[in-house]
Amino acid sequence: MEALATLPWGQLIVNGLALGSLYALAAFGLVLIYKITDIINFAQGELGMVSAFVAFFLITAFQLPFILAFILTLVFAGILGALVERFIVRPVENTSPLNPVILTVGIGVLLVGLAGTLWGYETRPFPAPISGPALRLAGLVLSRINALILVVMAVLMIGLYLFFRYTLVGVAMRAVAQNQVAARLMGISVGRIKALGWAVGTALAAVTGIFIAPLNYLDPNMMGDVILYAFAAAVLGGVTSLPGSVVGGLLLGIISSVAGFFAPQLRTTIAFAIIVLVLVIRPRGLLGGRTVKKV
Amino acid sequence: MGRSLAAAWPWLLLVAVALALPALLALIPGLASGYVLYLVALAFIYAIVALGLNLLIGYAGQFSLGQAGFMAIGAYVAAILATAWGWPFALTLPAAAIVSAAVGYLLGLPALRLTGPYLAVVTLGFGLAVPQLIIWQDTWTGGSSGLHSIPPADVLGVPFATDSQFYYVALVAVALLTLFAARLVKSRTGRAFIAIRDSELAAQAMGVSLIRYKTLAFAVSAAYAGVAGCLYAYLLKGIGPEDFTLFLSIEFLTMVVVGGLGAIEGSLLGAAVLTALPNVLTRLPLVEEYKNLYVLVFGVILILTVIFMPRGIAGAWRSYRARRVKAPEMAGQPSVVKG
Amino acid sequence: MEPLLEVRGLTMRFGGLVAVQDLDLTVCDGEIVGLIGPNGAGKTTVFNCISRFYTPTAGRIVVYTPTPTGRTPHDITRVPPHAIIRYGIARTFQNVELFRHMTTLDNLLVGQHTRMTRGLFADGLGLPGARRQDATATEHAEFVLDILDLEPYRDRPVSSLPFGIQKKVELARALVSRPRLLLLDEPAAGADTGETGELTETLRHIRESFGVSMLLVEHDMSMVMGLCDRLVVLDFGRKIAEGTPAQIQRDPAVIEAYLGEEAK
Repeated sequence: MEALATLPWGQLIVNGLALGSLYALAAFGLVLIYKITDIINFAQGELGMVSAFVAFFLITAFQLPFILAFILTLVFAGILGALVERFIVRPVENTSPLNPVILTVGIGVLLVGLAGTLWGYETRPFPAPISGPALRLAGLVLSRINALILVVMAVLMIGLYLFFRYTLVGVAMRAVAQNQVAARLMGISVGRIKALGWAVGTALAAVTGIFIAPLNYLDPNMMGDVILYAFAAAVLGGVTSLPGSVVGGLLLGIISSVAGFFAPQLRTTIAFAIIVLVLVIRPRGLLGGRTVKKV
Repeated sequence: MGRSLAAAWPWLLLVAVALALPALLALIPGLASGYVLYLVALAFIYAIVALGLNLLIGYAGQFSLGQAGFMAIGAYVAAILATAWGWPFALTLPAAAIVSAAVGYLLGLPALRLTGPYLAVVTLGFGLAVPQLIIWQDTWTGGSSGLHSIPPADVLGVPFATDSQFYYVALVAVALLTLFAARLVKSRTGRAFIAIRDSELAAQAMGVSLIRYKTLAFAVSAAYAGVAGCLYAYLLKGIGPEDFTLFLSIEFLTMVVVGGLGAIEGSLLGAAVLTALPNVLTRLPLVEEYKNLYVLVFGVILILTVIFMPRGIAGAWRSYRARRVKAPEMAGQPSVVKG
Repeated sequence: MEPLLEVRGLTMRFGGLVAVQDLDLTVCDGEIVGLIGPNGAGKTTVFNCISRFYTPTAGRIVVYTPTPTGRTPHDITRVPPHAIIRYGIARTFQNVELFRHMTTLDNLLVGQHTRMTRGLFADGLGLPGARRQDATATEHAEFVLDILDLEPYRDRPVSSLPFGIQKKVELARALVSRPRLLLLDEPAAGADTGETGELTETLRHIRESFGVSMLLVEHDMSMVMGLCDRLVVLDFGRKIAEGTPAQIQRDPAVIEAYLGEEAK
């Protein structure tokens, strides 16, 4: 137990928050898509991976500055997500609870195969979006890229909050998430909102991909277990809660960081264990609402 | 009696061909019959996993993206017992089945209250965790380098060392397990599974315990995968954690979906088609260089099947026959389509 | 009259909503009791408590089973849902809950699930014990199908049957477990006058031939008045009247509940 006291808690938490921000972004996209279309998007990671490749080529082949490539990639991701929802997911939507799962798994496989066929399976280094020495604050080390991640996360979260609160489209999305029938009756084009939900969710996956890539390498399989982490974060925070996904993500990042100190090779196993524990002990997560089942 | 014989003849023919296959292949000049038999044995092994998965998804209405994990457990249990403790095949096989079944039961417990996507993620996590744990416990498992020099399978003292010989072991295994599954789905247990899938409420009202039968479904499908894993270890004579990936689990899911959920023959069909696929693909002249095309084709197949042929090949065939014969019974087979 | 089922002080609360309040209800051997009341009165909730899909907030549910020397009470208030049928209580559902992908016969075989004992290995290996039990169960299922004129539908997948026939199949499925008490949730829903009359006759016949007691929730007054020995009336989760059909028809509280103040 004394060993716990000797942990570099501050550093682990700082690293954990940065890592957790990425989980939070992936989880937010996942929960958003779930709330609006009732589907857990198993291709969330792969959509991010393809976007990361697009960003990579924009930066290396077209020599675009990072910011521009970032924005263009988000637009690409949004379009991709909307197209996927409209033409692949929607036909299967109401058929059975299993079909969308199998379908999105298939989409994930397809994207990996596509990336592998087009660009090969070798790993490539992804250009760092920001360079320079690490920042030092209060005895803690914060790498520049982690700092950038935190900043981007904060900006996106504020932006999304404002979007959902104050724009017409954002409110329409919340309406569809709560009650599709009522939303339709109020004249909201549910189909368009669903496509838009997938667009935003995919764009968030793209952000995750673009920032994970420089930390490891870029290759078609790089996001293979991101779905697990995103889901763990979502479950931890409450699958029906958008703020919950952010809280869950950050918390998962910290847990992951601490656990990584003791058993770095068991990252995925720990995420799995967290999911099982939460679902068994408190299925609605930290911030999820209680649903009463009526027979 | 005449009717059941008429229905059974395709199966009998299949069995006859399967038994005679090594001899038939030897007749084809220039064919590496050993390799073909290895592939067919592999297809049998995959078919066993698909059978178990079909029982879980197509009949009991549950889900799993983690069958590769159970296969790994079976493979490693058998391999460790055979190499470290010198156990014979006759003991390592049941050991693999029992351990996998036990783990399947344990996984089924938290899965009790979960549906569709949640089950998918939990089992996916399981499937990812198992290889990680195997690498972690490297003293027993050889870590990332894996376990090698697995002795040949011996049945009653007779070793089945070559691919042509082991082919028969795999054939007997898949035949027996297919019979078991086919009998099971027409029995009280099978009906309990389908009842749970169709209406949990009514199933309980009729006395079917959800806890008991859901965990049983997980245990049985895990046992099937464990047996397959054991056979796999003996076929390949060496295993490593990278043999049991998430992609493999997805392949099993695809076999079941493409073959046809809720149809026993569907699992066999799906396994046959999808084992043949990569080997056929890499031999086509045009796409030779694109060996990686397999993953892409795979994803396309899965997506197209779910959208256009959700009942799989077996389901489409049954619909076709029902329409032709105008038989009143198109009974029994659920599709992925119906909610 | 020997009591078969006793509900004492049953209260069911969902969050802030009280669906059933302090209900006392008894069904005696051989009785047909009707549970009636306006929509939302809590009738199906009572059924779901007895079937154990809900756990009551308060109260007890007791079933009496016959022994060689008399009757034993069993407190089933907290028993798991799949155990209820073993106490001789079978039910039908308001919205038909048949096993869609099975045939009529198979549905009735599942209804006899608890009367068979063979497990996984006997089933998978096709052992004679399992086969014999299946054969016996099939015979009994055919017997029940015959009584309800469902023989022509024996091998049809139930999803292909018309709604009225499906309801009959559900009744058959409940009967096939040889229950002592049938819980019938709106058996006449969606039926026309002719079918309702037939159904009333059938239920009466079932009670005569098999001594099955019944508790039914029903809105069709002609069936209720014609069939039930006794009625219990619920309104807003509370029992407001109890008695014979004739008494209930004249009861002012009941009239007010159904028709409102203007009836006075």
